[in-house]
Amino acid sequence: MTDPTQPPPEFPKGHRPQVFSDPAIDQLYDGYVILGTELAVAFDRIDTLERLLQERLGMSRAEIDAYKPNEVVEAERQARRADLAQRLLRPFREFRDDRITRGSRRR
Amino acid sequence: MKDFKQHALLPTPQHDEQARQDFVGALRGHLSGRVMPGNYQLFERRVAPLFAAEHGRAPADEQEIREWMTREPYYQFWSALQRRSQELLWESVIDPTEREWSKLIHRARSKAGAKASARTNARKRGSLRLDAALTVPRYHAAADIHLQPGGYHTDFTADDVAAGAIYDKGINLYMGGALGAENDLMGNTLLAYLRERHPSRQPKRILDLGCAIGNSTVVWAKAFPKAEVHGIDVGAPVLRYAHARAESLGARIHFSQQNAERTDFCDHSFDLVTSHIMLHETSKSALLRILAECRRLLKPGGLMLHLEIPRGRTPIEQFMHNWESYNNNETFSRYMTRIDLTAEARGAGFTAEEVALEEFVPTMDVTQMNYTERFVWNILVAAKHGVGG
Ligand SMILES: C[S@@+](CC[C@H](N)C(=O)[O-])C[C@H]1O[C@@H](n2cnc3c(N)ncnc32)[C@H](O)[C@@H]1O
Repeated sequence: MTDPTQPPPEFPKGHRPQVFSDPAIDQLYDGYVILGTELAVAFDRIDTLERLLQERLGMSRAEIDAYKPNEVVEAERQARRADLAQRLLRPFREFRDDRITRGSRRR
Repeated sequence: MKDFKQHALLPTPQHDEQARQDFVGALRGHLSGRVMPGNYQLFERRVAPLFAAEHGRAPADEQEIREWMTREPYYQFWSALQRRSQELLWESVIDPTEREWSKLIHRARSKAGAKASARTNARKRGSLRLDAALTVPRYHAAADIHLQPGGYHTDFTADDVAAGAIYDKGINLYMGGALGAENDLMGNTLLAYLRERHPSRQPKRILDLGCAIGNSTVVWAKAFPKAEVHGIDVGAPVLRYAHARAESLGARIHFSQQNAERTDFCDHSFDLVTSHIMLHETSKSALLRILAECRRLLKPGGLMLHLEIPRGRTPIEQFMHNWESYNNNETFSRYMTRIDLTAEARGAGFTAEEVALEEFVPTMDVTQMNYTERFVWNILVAAKHGVGG
């Protein structure tokens, strides 16, 4: 089994349209949609968790409120936040790829 | 989307990956159903009257509409969101594909590979023939069509199938699940047309051009189980995927990597030559060569059927469809708006009596059309003179 080493390019090759007169507005719109997407992901996850907790363990909301993460948990959370930042700031990387560093398409 | 068939070659999304795909689907459904139609109202109630006040007439074509509409904040809002939803669509599909990449390649190899039992079954199995020397046409290499990073043709590793897996789930999301559990709406539509208009035809040799992952080709193989069915495409990763997918679905198809502009099949070797939404992803000169190649390949009496997306009847509809050309790397589709397909077919050697362009209303419920609320398919038909078929 080969282990693929080269990830696919992050951005599609070709023309990137600018809709608004200021590219910053395009990027803000994009960030707004991405934020909505990640919020939807978080809602689904919270919903799954709370249902499982109640169904399987009969756990209460007070226990969730009192929870303190340990180091391992915190590291996982940091990775998750970094992933969110990566997704959210994609429009700015696209802009850089398109206008500044065209051709260096690897992550 | 709920009833999309999860077969062996599709990655299984994890919780958050699934949530991301689901949201992209919901967002695109909302954009298509609730936001997009506002562009037509914007045109009728604001842009057309403003245009008339200045010019004393209605806009003559989609170019004139373009100048005015692209300055309108509402259109800009929709356009920005539509483009982002398309990029999110691929991102949401690429994540699980990347995670299961090695596994998918492995599964594709074992589905396609000659197992011990295969020898006895050899006649029941399809085949795959790749051509590493084939040049990917410029119209695919220059830009990634509909923004799929790497397009249909890029191999990122040996025996890659990623482009196939990404396309399979991607088009399911693109059409809000309307393509059906096996992405077979297009194949079923063209088959329904054949059954309705040419009910006595029983093609023995069938060729499907631009077959990609073979989603439409499988429909023909299943409808005519005794026929020898071929599928060609320029993309290697989609063909590897197509072959493994067809084998796992029990459809016997011979896939080969070839350019439809010039294939290595003999003259008069097919009773039926089809394509499904391929022509608008070629070029002006390629289109002519492909149609001429179809004529060469057809037996006397053979039938050519190309299913295409109509590009609108009114200038505003054309402008909306052509959003894809300016914002979604469907570079050629805006030229398709102005092309008379029957004239092209005549230019490629068919006689006026042989060709027709037909409108065909989909038999299935197409709920998410992205750029229009009225939908019919276009079918370019040619029945080659002669006896047979
Ligand atoms: C939109 S996809 C359609 C896939 C499939 N037929 C379906 O029904 O979903 C268009 C396909 O046509 C292929 N294609 C475009 N030009 C071609 C050519 N000249 N020769 C062979 N395949 C071509 C592309 O590689 C791509 O896979």
